Amino acid sequence: MNAAGFALLALMIGAYVLLDGYDLGVAAIAPLTTRTPAERAAAMSAIGPFWNGNEVWLIAAGGALFALFPKAYASAFSGFYLPFVAVLWLLMFRGLALELRNHFKNELWHTFWDSAFFASSAALIVLFGVALGNLLRGVPLDRRGYFSGTFAFLLNPYAVGVGIFALFALAQHGLTFLTLRVDGPPARRARRVQSIVWWFVLLAYLLVTVATFVLRAGSVHHAAWLAFLPLPSLLALGAVRFFAARGEERGAFVASAAFLASLLLAAAGTMFPYLLPAYPARAGGLSIYDAAPSPSALATTLTVTIVGLCAVVAYTIFTAGRMAGKIRAPE
Amino acid sequence: MGTAVIADRLQFAFTIMFHYLFPIGTMGLAPFIAWFNIKAYRGRDPEAASAARFWTKVFAVNFAAGVVTGIPMEFQFGMNWAPFAARSGAVIGQPLVMEGVYAFFLESIFLGVLLYGRRQVSERIYVLSSVLVCLGSWLSGFFIVATDAWMQHPVGYAVAAGGRIELRSLAAVLLSPFAWWQYAHVLTGALVAGGFIVAGVGSYYLLAHRDESFGRRFVRAGTMVAFVFSAIAIFPTGDLNGADVTRYQPVKLAAMEGLFASQRGAPLAILGMPDTARETLIDPVFVPDALSFLAYGNVAANVKGLSSYARTLWPPVALTYYAYHVMVGLGTIFVSLAALALLWLLRRKLFGARWLLWMLMLAMPFPYVANEAGWVTTEVGRQPWIAYGLMKTADAASQNVAAGETIFTLIGFAGMYFAIGVLFLLLTLREIGAGPAEAPL
Ligand code: HDD
Ligand code: HEM
Ligand code: HEM
Repeated sequence: MNAAGFALLALMIGAYVLLDGYDLGVAAIAPLTTRTPAERAAAMSAIGPFWNGNEVWLIAAGGALFALFPKAYASAFSGFYLPFVAVLWLLMFRGLALELRNHFKNELWHTFWDSAFFASSAALIVLFGVALGNLLRGVPLDRRGYFSGTFAFLLNPYAVGVGIFALFALAQHGLTFLTLRVDGPPARRARRVQSIVWWFVLLAYLLVTVATFVLRAGSVHHAAWLAFLPLPSLLALGAVRFFAARGEERGAFVASAAFLASLLLAAAGTMFPYLLPAYPARAGGLSIYDAAPSPSALATTLTVTIVGLCAVVAYTIFTAGRMAGKIRAPE
Repeated sequence: MGTAVIADRLQFAFTIMFHYLFPIGTMGLAPFIAWFNIKAYRGRDPEAASAARFWTKVFAVNFAAGVVTGIPMEFQFGMNWAPFAARSGAVIGQPLVMEGVYAFFLESIFLGVLLYGRRQVSERIYVLSSVLVCLGSWLSGFFIVATDAWMQHPVGYAVAAGGRIELRSLAAVLLSPFAWWQYAHVLTGALVAGGFIVAGVGSYYLLAHRDESFGRRFVRAGTMVAFVFSAIAIFPTGDLNGADVTRYQPVKLAAMEGLFASQRGAPLAILGMPDTARETLIDPVFVPDALSFLAYGNVAANVKGLSSYARTLWPPVALTYYAYHVMVGLGTIFVSLAALALLWLLRRKLFGARWLLWMLMLAMPFPYVANEAGWVTTEVGRQPWIAYGLMKTADAASQNVAAGETIFTLIGFAGMYFAIGVLFLLLTLREIGAGPAEAPL
């Protein structure tokens, strides 16, 4: 039951990364794909109808963490208080930029919100990456399971490396989405940028994977299959390039999503059964068994959440299908 | 109580009171949008279609502010109230995750259709989307109120070894009569606000001699909604909330009413200033026996006063008392004003009665005040408990977050919310200024 809770949580976070990931990526790479305010407006309307729904995956995952593993929810958010407030403020800023930009036809207004949109999205991706990096590496926990390290501890080279890797990977994801949804100059530029970014993704991927193996070697015994995960990841990454080169936009987007999914699977497999692995790795951590309520409460949460999510997936697909047409950016 | 707890309380109070300004607008306006869309669809009524688009744009600004201020709320339980979250998460996390899964997705995905999809989807799906947005916002109100109702009156739980609060029955939590009456009253409060906003904007158009056909429509629809729901706010929903407080939280009742000494045939204080040091009301105006009647349906019933409880169990009396009186006072004014406007509407004189239109226009901010005052009554009156009878607020605050951190972030939130408030007002007034006539979407 506890493992099922972990899987559900991983699935919801995964959905968040794949979905909000593309609109974060579109924003983070916007300075390289768009030149004029009109082009940026086109890029924004490509994600306009979807971004809020995508972000709800984060909110729902937060709620699920609260209900499924209250202790981990309490420990993580109070422990990483200031970084987390930074994430909240950036999320707020980004939401404002998306919603307020088009209310005035004024060049300065547009420039301001476009820059805010770009900067907050890029910073969010890096912060999320740093957070994931720290989860993989482990954090110092006190006896009650609360974070007892310092801010500087969180900014270690490994975690920052994961942050940068996240930036490349989501930029690529955003680029594949942009070519899928937008026509005109931004799409042409996106194709060119993407063929370069791809190499950065590959390089960062190899470095981070090796570093993770070194870091967690000896502490992840339960899952020999993890050693084989780089195979599908590399295949998916190759497929991104293959489809992109042939101009098959949908294929490239799906391949990029598969690449991200395989990464998240690897991350989840490395952490399991810990929600907050301790640093140093031998010390265990806050596991899905320490943090969970009674089995019957878990079962209730799982049932109610899964039933609801099935409906969500159904109407998300339905509406996305209706709203799929291309947006034409001015030449 | 340490400064850290005070800082946490201040931060929570500030961020939630600000957030709540926006759900009032969404829950209150969403039904108008759905209604105008349905009229446009069934009656081939292009003016109703423009009206729906106009309110959709006002709604969108409101929704954006609600979303950005709502995101911090979802995580504050873990950030500032970690011991409470860890202890009771199995119960209160439950309605919160349901809010995300059952309500926020619905609302935000179909709002995407309303805002961007008018040309992409069929007319029928468009109308359906506006109904679903309304449903989503009402559902999110329900789940969050169910969470709060549990903190007011815990049900469906068991305390396990080590003090952890376990969920026994989700049905008991979601179907608790306490929660349903509280929700009915909250939704009513939002609809009062929605009614007065629509009537007020309509009055503005009539007073300014512009978009007059829309103006009449808005005044008519808004006045009727405002009247019906400000009546329901008093009876049955307000009355029954009072009955629940009497039964489950008698100290809060005494604080709300400023009743210090227990007595039979307790009077209802309409005016007066509570003085907690001398335990009396200063300059009171009483209705004899009325409190006994309202609380127990019996003029001779004994109502317990604050002095029968230990002072450590008192909520902050003055704040609870004033907030409650502001809400009830405004509630009385709302029914009177709405009844007057309805009467003039039925006599077909309302659209020419400029004094009354002025009053309707100027009434717009006050439902917000009443709603916030009601929540202050509820939440401040619940003190010193965070979950009534189960856990004290003082034990609930995160120990690994320093007061300084909370104060620092509170200042940050204050700055950010000030900017959001200004932008919200600016953009809303601009939409109203642009008017419903052409309103392209
Ligand atoms: C326009 C808004 C509005 C108006 C006109 C009223 N209320 Fe109210 N009231 C609310 C909006 C509200 C609220 C903001 O929605 C609250 C806060 C929490 C809740 O359940 O509803 C509330 C709370 C609240 C409570 C506290 C419940 C608790 O502590 O659990 C009581 C006893 C009443 N109300 C009673 C009344 C009465 C007797 C009214 C008669 C005039 C009245 N309300 C008018
Ligand atoms: C939207 C309307 C609401 C308003 C205006 C409001 C207002 C307040 C205020 C003023 C306080 C501070 C009380 C004090 O410390 O003296 C408070 C505390 C709190 N409220 Fe609410 N509240 C609202 C809804 C909710 C809901 C829906 C929940 C739960 C889901 C909730 C949970 C809490 C918690 C956890 C605290 C902090 C602990 C405490 O002081 O008891 N509130 N709220
Ligand atoms: C502790 C209390 C609260 C929490 C944790 C909370 C959480 C949130 C979150 C995360 C959002 C953003 C949803 C999105 O992205 O679409 C939101 C919006 C919303 N909240 Fe709250 N909220 C609280 C209090 C309330 C209360 C008291 C109500 C109503 C009774 C309410 C009603 C809404 C509604 C209707 C929305 C939709 C967006 C909007 O219309 O503003 N919330 N809330």
